Parts: sequence; structure tokens; C-alpha cells
Amino acid sequence: MTTTTPSRGRRRAPSRMERAAGRAAALQRPRVILALLLLLALVCVMLLDGYLRAEVGGDQRVRTGASSSDVPDDVLNGGPIVTFRGGQATTVSVPDRTIALTFDDGPNPTWTPEVLEILEKYDVPATFFLVGSMVSRYPGIVADMVEQGHEVGIHTFTHVDLSYQSDARVRREMEQTQLALAGAAGITTTLFRAPYSSQTDAIDNYSWPVYKKLGQDGYTSVFVDTDSDDWKRPGVAKIVQWATPEKNKGASVLFHDAGGERSQTIAALPKYIEKMRAKGYTFTTISGVMEKQQAPAGAPQAGGTRLQAAHREATGAILYEGRALVAAVTVAEWAVPTLSVGLMVVGVAVMGRFGMMLLLARRHHRQRNRRRFSWGPPVTRPVSVIVPAYNEKECIANTLHSLARSTHPIEIIVVDDGSTDGTADIAESLGMPNVRVIRQANAGKPAALNHGVRSARYDIVVMMDGDTVFEPDTVRQLVQPFADPEVGAVAGNAKVGNRTTVIGAWQHIEYVMGFNLDRRMYDLLRCMPTIPGAIGAFRREAVLQVGGMSEDTLAEDTDITIALHRAGWRVVYQEHARAWTEAPGSLKQLWSQRYRWSYGTMQALWKHRKTMTDKGPSGRFGRVGMPLVVLFQIVTPVFAPLIDVFTVYAMIFVDFQASLLAWFAVLGVQLLCAAYAFRLDREKYRYLLMMPLQQLAYRQMMYLVLIHSCVTALTGGRLRWQKLKRTGEVGTPAGAG
Amino acid sequence: MFVDTSGRRARLLRRIGLLLGAGCLGYAAVLGAAFMGWGTSLTPSQLLPFAGAGPGGGPGGPGAPGVPTAPPGAGTAVPTPLPTASAAAASD
Repeated sequence: MTTTTPSRGRRRAPSRMERAAGRAAALQRPRVILALLLLLALVCVMLLDGYLRAEVGGDQRVRTGASSSDVPDDVLNGGPIVTFRGGQATTVSVPDRTIALTFDDGPNPTWTPEVLEILEKYDVPATFFLVGSMVSRYPGIVADMVEQGHEVGIHTFTHVDLSYQSDARVRREMEQTQLALAGAAGITTTLFRAPYSSQTDAIDNYSWPVYKKLGQDGYTSVFVDTDSDDWKRPGVAKIVQWATPEKNKGASVLFHDAGGERSQTIAALPKYIEKMRAKGYTFTTISGVMEKQQAPAGAPQAGGTRLQAAHREATGAILYEGRALVAAVTVAEWAVPTLSVGLMVVGVAVMGRFGMMLLLARRHHRQRNRRRFSWGPPVTRPVSVIVPAYNEKECIANTLHSLARSTHPIEIIVVDDGSTDGTADIAESLGMPNVRVIRQANAGKPAALNHGVRSARYDIVVMMDGDTVFEPDTVRQLVQPFADPEVGAVAGNAKVGNRTTVIGAWQHIEYVMGFNLDRRMYDLLRCMPTIPGAIGAFRREAVLQVGGMSEDTLAEDTDITIALHRAGWRVVYQEHARAWTEAPGSLKQLWSQRYRWSYGTMQALWKHRKTMTDKGPSGRFGRVGMPLVVLFQIVTPVFAPLIDVFTVYAMIFVDFQASLLAWFAVLGVQLLCAAYAFRLDREKYRYLLMMPLQQLAYRQMMYLVLIHSCVTALTGGRLRWQKLKRTGEVGTPAGAG
Repeated sequence: MFVDTSGRRARLLRRIGLLLGAGCLGYAAVLGAAFMGWGTSLTPSQLLPFAGAGPGGGPGGPGAPGVPTAPPGAGTAVPTPLPTASAAAASD
């Protein structure tokens, strides 16, 4: 997924840098902290979500066939309720003609409420062994359950086979479930049933220590006498038959209200209750069984508390932490689907964009390179080239020499914007006949350009940067579209000259894609948002008509391009007019350049927001160009971090291979697009080797820049031009690459 | 464009940012506490089976949860109808 900003070449102008930089740094510190905190919270949300869905720390192992030589015979042959009162294992069995209904694995949002409804209808109390993660996700059901007089027990937090887990993990499983119960229903419980447990005679040497340990901690382990095996979905009759104890014995009976499709359980339950009632059975909870067996002489208390004697009211820290946990889970349950939807939107938008770009770029390329294609009669009249310059002593000579070789008649106007390094003197000392040097007090790049436009002798003005180098043919190619009287401005093809460094190569890829895919698409859609400052040509009358370059925004090139659209002019892209420019050589400079671009683009879009409701060509830009630019240059990059976070999440917690494959698939699509763009521009493919790395570093930086400038825009802070450092290393290229 | 000289917007945003940051930190803290088990361990005296069924017990009867109390085997504070844990370990 790309966050490519369609390159616009480079712009520069004078400014009071140090102050602005200092202010920017002061602004950034809290933002970095906030960003890190947000990331921390996002990671927490995702970890929690993963844990709740047993993607984190999930352990599917189940032990079978182990020896039971260490387990006391009393326990193996005893009743289903095992306590460790006084450190001594004691079993309690269910009295005759008594059923302790137990439901495992809940709560489940579909089946548990149905079970509760049946139990309420028949006025039957039951015991639910709840999975903590489900409790925290569906706290309301548990609250209802307890309210209705049912008893609850712990079935661990993540439904793991505890015999494989460390003591610490076992303790955490129990404590987390207690927290969830406290948060959901305001209680804790002393009942426990181990996942994958069944009858007491199935206790083995590995699980016995767990029961013993938990028993010493005070927990009562509850096993099963008759297992309905309803999870096998054998049919209602079988479930009822299997759940019925022999003769008139009492039993702890196992059903499941979650963990799969449970409609057979729901159907069997009423039949089972009716059948057992007919046989003279009564139903009770585990506490009810304990009371009957242990204190037959004791005065029975009120029914509700008696049947829920295993519950304790949660107070203090547990209660509040439990509520906080439930709230945190609610946030995660809500946030993760929302983020997933955002991710999908971004994914679809990005892929759609690639498709559209490929399609339109191909069409553009074919249309403009057809043998019979022409803009009209060749434009041969002279044009004015305006070179705004501020402290360009390293580059200005190169720039002017390259213009001197132009195959098209030109006059060159160097507007020196109050340089302090003698740029104007250098330009004058070259003694070129068609060069005029205009000096002005430092007033900014828009003012310099306007000054140049006013002084221009010809009706077509070419604007370039003071550090850009043209090919001999560039101006001629650039002005040919003006043969069409509708065309008001032409965007050229800016190329990165210093592409030997990693940063340079990344920008090279970005520029080639930006110019050969984005700009071709925008050209055909007639909504080009930006004519690059490094190379563009305008009709002088069009520029004057829209009031010249404006100082309202930091992206005066985007601003004037949109203004031209609004005035009804057509803006086209001329791929054969190439300009060589020096891209920022350090990350810091790249950062400040892009910061200004994205902030300026937002300013320009905001300035022209009324186009969305305009009629005619202005409305066309507002309804086609504006949404495209907003979607692809602001919304998509802002949400792009989600892609990275989800990829990492999926790689760690879901499926490493599949996620990696998906990542490479996306990279492949991008490579394909980039390769096509390179082909259109006849660039060397070897720079594409940098692309995988670009996805890991450059992209992240680009969205940080964008988010940063969004926040600056929101806070209303001031952002100024920042002069980029130049080396003047970019010269006239020998060939095209 | 976008420049707000009054600083009111920046102040408002700073407040929202502070709240958001505090919320994030709180969220992480809650999860940390919940999953590390800080301040939530229950003692046997709070769990002993059916202690609450006896006189003086009942919901809310046992000592305040969350307060670190006696180690296992010494939890005799809760009146129960049966002898409370006194053995150090279970004998098989």
C-alpha cells in the first residue's frame, strides 16, 4: 500500500528558518509522546483482542491416556465434587434423585440466553462453568445468570488444559476469571471445573497436582457423573439418554451452552427436565448438593443464597479492577472491528487506485504517443523562463547553462529573492545574452514568481526552480500543448538527479510512479492537482486572470493549479519535458520538505473547498479531483499505519505464513505498478530493488509526516518555508536515465 | 489557511490530547494490572468452600478481598461450621 505523494519536484523559498524549526520542535515533543501512547493503547487493544480470541497464548494441547497411579482411589471412585478442606481431599457425591445441571464453556451470546430462558420457564437452578474471556466479552449475560439464581464456577480464562501450564499461568487463569466475574456480576466464586475434565476416574497424574493446588487455594473442583456428550450433536434422544443417570442415582450432568452450534442442547433440555421431573428428580446447584450432603440438620437459609453459596460478593480492588477490565474489553470489542473496517476501506481504495492508475496511465501513454497525435500547429514562438532563486550559488550556473542549450527560443528571467550568497552576481557574471536578472527584497517564492510573470515579454511562461536542470529539448516539449487553446498550463516530468543514495533511490521510485501513474490519471480525468514547481508552463494571461501566485498557502503550485481549473483552463501533463532536480539528501530535509508539501496541499484544498458545490469546470474539479486527492493523499496515508499494525499483529498472532504472503502479494502489486511506470519512462529497473526496503521505512515516515501536518493544521500552528540544503551535484544528464 | 492566532484551538486540542493520552495510559494500566494479577489475588479464606453458608458469613461476609492477608494454611479469620485449613499440605 503506497502513500506516494505525487511528486511535484522541489520548491523552495526564503524564510526565517531557525525560529520556525525551534517552534516546530517544541510542538512535536508532546505529539511524539501522545503518538507513542496511542500506539501503546492500540497494541494493548489488539493483544487483549487476540487473547480473548485465544490467538495470544492459546494452547490447543489436550492430554490423553496418562497414568493415574498418583491419584488417591478415594478420589477416583468418589463423587464429582472434590474439596480440600484442611488440606485433605474430600469428595462429595450428588444425593439420589437429585440432578446438578452443569453447563460448560459459556457464556455464548446466542445459546446461553436460550438456556437461561428454558431454565427460568421450568424454574430449574443450574451451575454454569464460565470461560473468563467470554465472561468479559458478554458480561450482561452473566449478570442475568446470577440474578436468576444460578450458580457460576470458573472454567479458566482461555479454556486451556491446565495440566500443561505453569503454576503462574494457572493462577493467572483463575484470577483473571475472578476479575471478569467481579466486573460482570459483582461476585467471585469458589467453584472450578477444569477444561477437558470429565468423571473423577479420568483424573490422571498430570491434572491431579492442579486440582490439589487449586484445592489448597480454596477452590472446589467439580467433575461430572453423566455426560450428555451434546457437543457431538448426536440428536436430541441420545443427549437425553446419555444425560440420564442409572437407576435413581443423583448426578452432576454435563451440558454445553457454548463452544459450537448448540441447537440440539436447546431442544434436548426441556425434554430432559420433564423426563427427570417425571421420575421424581429435583434440580439443584453444586452448593445445593453440598448443603444437602454436609449439613442435613442445619436450618436452611433462604433459597437464593443457599443455592449460590459458592459466590462471594466482590468488593474493593477486585470489583473496580474487574469493572475496568470489562470496560477495557468492551473498548477492544468495539475498536477492533472498527479498525478492521477502516483497514478494508483503505485496502480497497489503494487497490482500486492501482487498478485505475494502470488503466488510465496506459490509455494516456497510447493516446499521447500515437503517430498522428498532435496538440495543433507546432508552437515555435519564444517563451519566457522564470527562475526564482534564493541562495542558489551552488546550482544557478548549472541551471542557466542547461537553459542556454535550449532548442526553443527563450528569454530567461532570474528573479533573485534577496539572496545573501551572491546568486544574482553569479547569474550576471555568466554574461549570457538572453538572461535578465531581477533583484527584489526577500519576499518569498510566490512574490518572486509574480515579479517574473509581470516582467515576462512573451505570452507563455515556464517556471522552474533555481536548482533544476533542463534538457535541451525540455522547453520545446513543454510548450507544445499550448497549441490547444483550451490548455492553460502544462506539468512537466521532474526526475531525481541524485539517485545513487538510498533516500535518493526511494524518491526516484516515488517520482517515477507519481509522474507516470498519478499525473497521467489526473490528466485524463482533467483534475491535475499540482503542477510541479520544478517544471511547469503557464499561459501568462491565465496566471494573471486568477490573480497570480498566491501567498495564502505553502503550496502555491497546488493553489494556482486548482485556481486554473476553477477558471476553466485545462491542465495537462507532458511526459517528454524532463527536468532534473536534486532531491533532499537527508531524512531530516526530506521530512521538512514533505511536511510543507502535505500541509500546503491541505491548505490549498481547504482554500478551494467551495469547488465541491460549484457548477461547470470548477465543480468538476471539486467533485472528481478533490475527493481523489483527499482520499489518496490524506485519508489513505493517515490510515496506512493500520496496515502495518495489523500485518504485524496477524503475523505474530494469526498466521505468520499467510500474513507474510499477503504482505508480499501487496508488495508484488506495487512492484508491478512501479515496473509499469518505469517502463513508460524507460527507466532502469534496478532501482526497484530498493522498493521492499522502501515499504519498511520510507512509507512509515511519509504517514508520520502527514499525521503531523494534519495535527498542525488542526491546532492552527504556523508553518513556514524551510530552505533545503543544496550541493549542486545534479548536472545535465547525458541520456534519459 | 488554518492559522489560529488566538491559540484557542491549540489549547482545546492540547486538552483533548492530554485526555486521550491519559486514557491510553489508563487503558494500558488496567490491562497490566488485570493480567499481571496486581491487587487481585484471593486468599483461601476468601475462597474456602461454602464458608459463607455459616452464620456470620453470607455474601460480603469474608474479609475484604484484595487485601493481602495470611498465607495459605493460616486463614482462620472466617467463622465456618467446619475446621478451617490448618494442615500445611495435602496428604495423598
